[in-house]
Amino acid sequence: MNFLSEGFLQGFDLLFSGDEEVWSAVFETLKLSSLSMLVSLLIGIPAGFALGHFSFPGRRAVRLLVDTLLSIPTVVVGLFVYAFISNRGPLGSFELLFTTSGMAIGQTILALPIIMALTASAVENTDRRLRFTLLTLGARGRRLLLSTLWEARHQILLAAVTAYGRVTAEVGVSMMLGGNIKWHTRTITTAITLETGKGNFATGIALGVLLLSLSFVLNWSVSFLRGRSAA
Amino acid sequence: MTIDARIPVYQLNDIVCGYEGKPVLRVESLSLYDDGPVAFVGHNGSGKSTLLNLLAFLLPPISGELMFQGATAGESGRGSLDATMLLQDPYLLRRSVFENVAYGLKARGMKDVRSRVVEALEMVGLSPDFARRLWYQLSGGEARRVALASRLALRTKVLLLDEPTANVDEESAQLIAQVILDARRMWGALPLIATHDLQWLDSVTQRRIFMRRGRIERQPA
Repeated sequence: MNFLSEGFLQGFDLLFSGDEEVWSAVFETLKLSSLSMLVSLLIGIPAGFALGHFSFPGRRAVRLLVDTLLSIPTVVVGLFVYAFISNRGPLGSFELLFTTSGMAIGQTILALPIIMALTASAVENTDRRLRFTLLTLGARGRRLLLSTLWEARHQILLAAVTAYGRVTAEVGVSMMLGGNIKWHTRTITTAITLETGKGNFATGIALGVLLLSLSFVLNWSVSFLRGRSAA
Repeated sequence: MTIDARIPVYQLNDIVCGYEGKPVLRVESLSLYDDGPVAFVGHNGSGKSTLLNLLAFLLPPISGELMFQGATAGESGRGSLDATMLLQDPYLLRRSVFENVAYGLKARGMKDVRSRVVEALEMVGLSPDFARRLWYQLSGGEARRVALASRLALRTKVLLLDEPTANVDEESAQLIAQVILDARRMWGALPLIATHDLQWLDSVTQRRIFMRRGRIERQPA
């Protein structure tokens, strides 16, 4: 087990000495996840709100589809998006394969159902007295909708944090659509996969520690938000 | 708003009201004039809350005619901003006390929000410092007072209160009675109260409409 303890020591050394390769993967992960989260939130929150708040034909079918997509394997998303953005695919002319934008499309498809489903649940589960309260206070139209959304803000943040955790931890989409290109599309998870395969535990552990730290911060946030929304 | 005393504030004709199409309230004829607090009295399930929801324009009638100040209510939102209601189990928005009390004022585009909030809090016995507290820092009794303050701040013509003394102590019940009378005295509000607390009601009004099984059983001549 010496290689493991040595790997930890070397890993921390790489982290704190500012190793460029390690930090390149970290920044690529943050750039990619921020991009995919931005798009997911912009589409997912209004769509999830509509799904949870309004009644329309086919609502149950849409809900079922969104719930099913919650557990879609990352490699399946990678496969479908690959088929679309590869040279032979319908979006091939945009040259998105092995780019951050291409990976962001895949990660958006992963995050979107989480944002939509959890936002819809948050809106559906708002207190039954909320609507009457807002109406008796004089809220109408857009204010009524936005205030309802605001009341569910802690659960929606929870949805965002959960989705962020999913996109930062996935490997399949990043590997298939990004190609794990050094200095370019290499993320924390694809770098860990590669370095471990090469027997280079130190870099893998350094990145693993960073990913764990990120996961800890996300879980702490989730725990805090759960407490706040229950209050 | 200016009220013509000769015209009833509310006029109900052959009203049938209920939930999901199922009638739970039938009122053949009821006129409520602007001459002091009125109480709807009856046991649980007598239709008091449904009637209050109707009068607060929260629940449209299944059939019949609901008039407000001589015009059909609901048309162009007629009357809907002239009435506010304190729910039986009040809900506070997930915001500060100030934001809760200020919400309705902002929704109506009113000015002097800060002074109105302070005034409303003082009416229910809460100091202005209380405005900074968040919703989860309040006891049940404090939350009810804040909810009441958020309605009082609006100074609406009609103030509907659904079981305002449910689950409150004697001191708070007396404060609520005083606040109802103050609202009448200060801006001429028409308080409409649903309750089965007859002893408490003695300190507020003798004008009582008795309800039973979704119908008005007896009302003042």
